[in-house]
Amino acid sequence: MEKEHNIVSTQQRRVDAWGKVTGKAKFAEDYNVAHQLYGKVLRSKYPHARILRIDTSKAAQLPGVEAVLTAKDIPGSKVFGIVVKNQAILAEEKVRYLGDGVVLVAAVSKEIAEKTITLINVDYEPLPVLPDPETAMQPDSPRIHDDSPEYEFRNTFVHHKVRKGDTEKGFAEADFVIERRFKTQFIEHSYLEPEAVLAEPSEQGGVKITGSIQNLFSSRRSVATFLNLDLNKVEIIQTTLGGSFGGKDEVMTAMCCRSALLALKTGKPVKMVNSREESMLESYKRHPYVMYYKWGVKKDGRITAMEQRCIADGGAYASMSPFVTWRSVVQATGPYHCENVKTDVYAVYTNNNYTGAMRGFGSPQVNFAIESMMDELAEKVGKNPLEIRLQNGFERGAVTATGQKLEHNVSLKEVLTKAAHSSSFAKKWNDYRHQPPSPKKNGIGIACSYRGVSLGAEGTDAAGTIVSVQTDGSMIVSSGITDMGQGAQSAMSHIVAEVLGISLDRIQFLNTNTSRVPDSGPTVASRGTIMGGSAAKRAAEIVRATLLDVGSKMTGITAEALDLRENYLVHTLGETPVPPGVESGDSTSRRCKRLASFTELAAETFRRGKPMYGFGWFKSPKTSWDEEKGQGEAYFTFVYGCNVAEVEVDTQTGKVDVVEFTSVHDVGKAISRGGVLGQIYGGVAMGLGYGLLEEFDFEDGVPKHLNFDEYLIPTSMDVPPVKAIIVENEDAAGPFGAKSIGEPANEIAAPAIVNAIFNATGQRVYELPANLERVLLGHKLTRKGERGSVRKSAAETWTDASCKIRHKATDE
Amino acid sequence: MKPFNYMRATNLHEAIGLLAHHTPNVCLLAGGTDLLIEWRRPSACTPENVIDISALTEMKGIESGNGRIVLKPLTTHAQILKSQAIIESAPLLSVAATVIGSPQIRNRGTVGGNIMNAAACADTVPPLIALNAEVVLQSESERRTLPLHELFLKPYETVARPDEILCEIRFEKLPVKARSSFIKLGRRNALSISRLSVAAVVARDEAGVITNARIVPGATFPRWRRVVEAEKLLVGEKASAELFRAAGDTVSELMIAETGHRWSTEYKEPVIAVLVQRALEQCCR
Repeated sequence: MEKEHNIVSTQQRRVDAWGKVTGKAKFAEDYNVAHQLYGKVLRSKYPHARILRIDTSKAAQLPGVEAVLTAKDIPGSKVFGIVVKNQAILAEEKVRYLGDGVVLVAAVSKEIAEKTITLINVDYEPLPVLPDPETAMQPDSPRIHDDSPEYEFRNTFVHHKVRKGDTEKGFAEADFVIERRFKTQFIEHSYLEPEAVLAEPSEQGGVKITGSIQNLFSSRRSVATFLNLDLNKVEIIQTTLGGSFGGKDEVMTAMCCRSALLALKTGKPVKMVNSREESMLESYKRHPYVMYYKWGVKKDGRITAMEQRCIADGGAYASMSPFVTWRSVVQATGPYHCENVKTDVYAVYTNNNYTGAMRGFGSPQVNFAIESMMDELAEKVGKNPLEIRLQNGFERGAVTATGQKLEHNVSLKEVLTKAAHSSSFAKKWNDYRHQPPSPKKNGIGIACSYRGVSLGAEGTDAAGTIVSVQTDGSMIVSSGITDMGQGAQSAMSHIVAEVLGISLDRIQFLNTNTSRVPDSGPTVASRGTIMGGSAAKRAAEIVRATLLDVGSKMTGITAEALDLRENYLVHTLGETPVPPGVESGDSTSRRCKRLASFTELAAETFRRGKPMYGFGWFKSPKTSWDEEKGQGEAYFTFVYGCNVAEVEVDTQTGKVDVVEFTSVHDVGKAISRGGVLGQIYGGVAMGLGYGLLEEFDFEDGVPKHLNFDEYLIPTSMDVPPVKAIIVENEDAAGPFGAKSIGEPANEIAAPAIVNAIFNATGQRVYELPANLERVLLGHKLTRKGERGSVRKSAAETWTDASCKIRHKATDE
Repeated sequence: MKPFNYMRATNLHEAIGLLAHHTPNVCLLAGGTDLLIEWRRPSACTPENVIDISALTEMKGIESGNGRIVLKPLTTHAQILKSQAIIESAPLLSVAATVIGSPQIRNRGTVGGNIMNAAACADTVPPLIALNAEVVLQSESERRTLPLHELFLKPYETVARPDEILCEIRFEKLPVKARSSFIKLGRRNALSISRLSVAAVVARDEAGVITNARIVPGATFPRWRRVVEAEKLLVGEKASAELFRAAGDTVSELMIAETGHRWSTEYKEPVIAVLVQRALEQCCR
């Protein structure tokens, strides 16, 4: 019998909503303390150059300036990185992209800090700029990192592979070969709140940093090695975050290190805040990929061989590239059967912004290619896009490209069928293929995916959550899993409330503080609910056992016959429904008798000297990976999703409007129903931007835009109503059966839209985004220099002292 | 942003006096939707003196009578799009006002500011030129009236002197028989800078013969203008897809003749022709 839930899977409020909608929430920039200084970074003048000389003498003499620091002033490690430690916190010999910091200043006011920056002279020797990864791979290209090991090609710092069967044999068996090249773009995370921190020297030495930080423990490790401090001397406190989407990791680590150094050198608190322009200039982006896909297929639609070669633009530093590209290599062939697979994924240094984690983490790129290929395959063999996916898709027991046998409930065909049925996909797809000629055409497209949950074989995967009952029955919960707006605190609160039979208003969730909760790894990979939630469930269960034990002693009733429901200790009277009119019973009509309020029970537990504190720790099930063979149990479980997009294409202007959207996801169990829906709606909107609008463009390593006037994200007028369908096949690994939704929701919207454009026009877009020019002309148009609609007097555009956006002719 | 002297004028007379006193190192602040954004750029030329005219009530409002509309320059886009007089007598201007920016920008931005900022993509300018609008510029020494299309020299440059203030925009109401349209093409459906736009007016007699046509494209020519070369093709003819296509092609050819081949020409060349054709078709529906 299905267990009834009071909180989990029902519509409950977000625990952070009240503060956010009333303006009481404190974001990083809202933190101020007496005597604080303002920190500022002088950034590079060139995308690639040798630093010859830094002259700070004039700057240091300016009244109000308290510190002017360079790499020479760093006491500990000057570089950091999750895998390859080569990212400079302040560049010493070389700058490798325009966002590199070179000199750090602190002054008594923002204005003085800004002025100080302009008084610093740095002499550079410009070096050849490598803006294109495929060029950077050529043997005659200069090295961006002199000491970095190279894999096969110049500037190539990652090579992941998957090998299964024999692709030569597979291609020999094929009736056709489909070979295509796909390309994706740099994407800005576009978090609403730019980077900000406040660093304060601590009383016992060390430093306390309060800020808009996603992965506190990674940042703390880097700050500690940078300053030669023990981890217990670096306290990082997360403020309420105005969005992150994977974006507030390394860029925040650099800001934490810089502000902490200034604070320790001056002995005063130092505040650092990036403007939007500084944020876009320095922060990392989603990787652009160039992808060569070659599939061998039979006339009946079976796939006999899949060969993929993907090149990721890693930008100036390694950052998360080794992990991002690993997810790509594992998932590069999608949830489709094939005996013979050969995939190679490379990450290459360039002089663009470095690229790292962003919602999807290596999947949006390959999903665009895979799902476009599936549609081409369908076209080639005369099937519809749904049929071809149902024919080739995984079911329980399927063996993936990495040789992993899927033993959980593989719901790919369930989500495909539900999405197709709900959107009348097959009928519309056929109707639109035969629509009469007209300037505006409709189209419908489908895309699906499977996605490994959590970190997988990337590394250690464990998390902790603490539940502390107060003597009045209220509760303090904290976790090493952080909330950046995605709803982790809500999901964990809902789980704790469910286990302890209390209402949500009893829970106070604390923002994460590295000194008060255990290192739980980064909050990434859609692991918040499954990892932090599992730990929360364990912590709550520990407390529950204590409380029931005390309840049993209080009442003389065995603990097995007691339960915690709706803020009461109750005596369960069997699960048969209570007849109407009978008073005892909870709102779900399970028979029970109230014995004591939760408050009374908590007080009694305290009086009896029992621990009212639960610490839950959850370590993920085992995974494995053989880097040489490119095989392994990559993830302990997977999720499945399907998107259907319906578009209207103006074939004479290239304008695409998405008019309907259906998004179906198997989340295992929707802990917070509203939270899951929010993730789906937001994921679709973000995916729509990826598909149609967004492109962080460079010219020779120089960003072409540093604000949202030209970097276009979808507005509410661009996003259609989204039909969200939640599928719940409970998974043994997750709390109450829950898995993931954050990234799955974002990773297949773009290919669904591109497939819909093909259905409408018969023309396929192979490079994202499918903007006006690509849809109308089939290729991109590149503006050289400034846009014509920019005022002439400002033609030099954003010339922050630390950044010079070069322009050529003013031209529209 | 560099520091500047801020002055808030309480009436038009005072504003004109302040302008005269501080000219040429002065600029006017109306809705602020262009100026304040521009000043975010560190390289922006911030004038020493800024006169805030947003409190001048005599510069706000829409007057309708005697077959004409007088538009006061501080009228916001939101006020224009809600005005019954505009909807009835100049619907293309109403349409243009609805597609500018976002609700916030439409609530703050003014038609006078849209004109005097003189951006090539200003959405109210093509409709106003298609309405044969005139503008009145006033300074301490003179008050002069000129056709709107003569105001502009090139993007962001007008013939107005620093001591002059735009104090009126006026135009004849469209005749009852005339139909008008405005089409904007942006990359997204709100908060979007026009890639291209077209304002059109077409009047026909009882027999369906076109008696008057006006075509004003936006973000197309270095200087705004009615494309009389294309308008001429239409007068005396009956509406047809071929005719409108020919008008569109003419506009497209002229665009290339006047601007040369640019990075965006490959896209704009076919698309401006289509938009002109559509704008004319909308007028004859």
